Amino acid sequence: MLELFSFGRKKISNKLLIFIKTNTGQSLSLNLDPEWNISNVKKLVAPQLGLKSEEVKIIFAGKELEDNTRISECDLGQQSVLHAVKTKSRVNIESKTKRCLDVVYDDDNGNNVIDVASKPLSSTLVDLQLCGEERRHVSEKQSDKVKANFFVHCPECKKLCKGKLRVRCNICKESCFTVHRDPECWDDVLIPKKIQGHCESFEIACMSDEENGLPFAEFYFKCAEHVSGGEKDYAAPLNLIKMNLKEIGCLSCGDISEIVLVFPCDAGHVTCLECFKLYCTSRLQERQFISHENYGYTLSCPVGCENSFIQEIHHFKLLDKELYDRYQSFGAEEFVIQSGGVLCPFPNCGMGIIVDEDCNRVHCLNGCGFVFCKICKQGYHIGECLPETSAQNNSTLTEYSVNPNKVADSRWEQERIATKIAIQVTTKPCPKCRVATERAGGCMHMVCTRAGCNFDWCWVCQTEWTRDCMGSHWFG
Amino acid sequence: MTSPSERRLRKEFLELIKNPIPGVIIDGEKIEKNINEWNVTIIGAEGTIYQGETFELQFLFNDKYPFDSPSVVFIGKNIPEHSHIYSNGHICLSILSQDWTPALSVGAVCLSIRSMLSSATKKERPPDDLIYTKTCSKNPKKTKWFFHDDNV
Repeated sequence: MLELFSFGRKKISNKLLIFIKTNTGQSLSLNLDPEWNISNVKKLVAPQLGLKSEEVKIIFAGKELEDNTRISECDLGQQSVLHAVKTKSRVNIESKTKRCLDVVYDDDNGNNVIDVASKPLSSTLVDLQLCGEERRHVSEKQSDKVKANFFVHCPECKKLCKGKLRVRCNICKESCFTVHRDPECWDDVLIPKKIQGHCESFEIACMSDEENGLPFAEFYFKCAEHVSGGEKDYAAPLNLIKMNLKEIGCLSCGDISEIVLVFPCDAGHVTCLECFKLYCTSRLQERQFISHENYGYTLSCPVGCENSFIQEIHHFKLLDKELYDRYQSFGAEEFVIQSGGVLCPFPNCGMGIIVDEDCNRVHCLNGCGFVFCKICKQGYHIGECLPETSAQNNSTLTEYSVNPNKVADSRWEQERIATKIAIQVTTKPCPKCRVATERAGGCMHMVCTRAGCNFDWCWVCQTEWTRDCMGSHWFG
Repeated sequence: MTSPSERRLRKEFLELIKNPIPGVIIDGEKIEKNINEWNVTIIGAEGTIYQGETFELQFLFNDKYPFDSPSVVFIGKNIPEHSHIYSNGHICLSILSQDWTPALSVGAVCLSIRSMLSSATKKERPPDDLIYTKTCSKNPKKTKWFFHDDNV
């Protein structure tokens, strides 16, 4: 009774709904039992395509699958897509393209790659964090542990998820594609045009401009934790997140976590995901992210290692929504400033505006509509800018004569005016990047705290800090 | 669930109990009450100008530790007379500000401070002690330090 019950349940819950696509435009849907193997699938599919089962090959994630491969080995999810193609008979080569491809394949060390079926990519692929030596010395016992694990940020689940590696043709973008070799490192996956393959998505194979005419494999990722939303349902790979195979403790809290983030520095410093978020939060609050020209708004290894910037900025999606929003707005602001733009000075606006070089009148068109002067950031005016405030341009002696707290309390019109005045009275702009800077004590030597500026300047002269400043008014 | 900073501090605490650093005594009772505030006694090393003296250091941690450096000052009556230690207890040591990394620890800071003391040959205050102690913020982390002398 018990056995019958469990058997029945297994049958119901384990069936996978799989779509089969052919290169002739047909598409079928099948309910597959995970315990079946590929030859079962061929038997089911072939008659519907008007072929014999020996004439069909099944392609999935860059591999032609062997007959004895079980469905459960293939890392297929609900509503995954398999490709069924007619095996080309070697005698019957008519089209020029096909002949050309055939020659290429025969050249390839005499191995007929074209018809070599194999185990699915998910079971042959060794974890990409292992390199050369380590890959070759994987013992049987470990082999389960070192199976490739990928992590993605899934836009659908809105969190860190396990990912699935998929392959498509770089020309037609269809995934009826077989690769010539497994990727062996992250570069193979992330950098385009590393691994060639064979595209069978259409009756006439895709050709590239390469010498041998073969297209390249394009790798992409899907979330493994929700039902596939079709072939366009991508997720961003988080290549720094890894299974902690080496059981390294987090450099911050010391815990040995199952999943860690390994910084791209030579030492490969490790943090747990919780501490990674803490690190980002503390750097973000101090606005110490760096706008990198190639990678975007990013961070480097917390230990301060050289060349350790996080290149895939989707890693910051791991932050809570509120922080991620702040990350995005800071990043956008830094980008605008670096490209010579301005931020709208109107309170609660802050819209980034790219401005004409020779026009000082800036209109916040897509934001609040404020029209202001590019130089003094006040409402637009004709002629020279007025001195910003008397306190700023007169001598430093009068600077503290207005008590900023009192000013802030007196809110005679609106809070924003009081705030604005408080900022004007207590701060001076960095002479280089114009960021408002407060001096909370200490000497007159100021260092701009804005990430990427770090300009040394003199609070008194409001110019670059010099030895003269040090000699005459270092401490006021 | 404790915060990562507390877990890290607990680990450091246990490590220092298990493998104490010579000349560095931590006040376990106080730490058990509040993990974010540590008082550490530093004993002047033998054969140095501080031999026979003891000094008290105060560490304050925030919830961003160890990504954010701790605030470290000498407290109590006996502030060591040293060219990098101000009379209000503030210490001019690069690893406490811009050279701080999360790979450092309380133990590493204590060792650095002890070796900084041990390498001194003359008891003197920094040249700008008077003006600094008058104008500085109470929190040494608010001070932007400039390190002119890497030898001491």
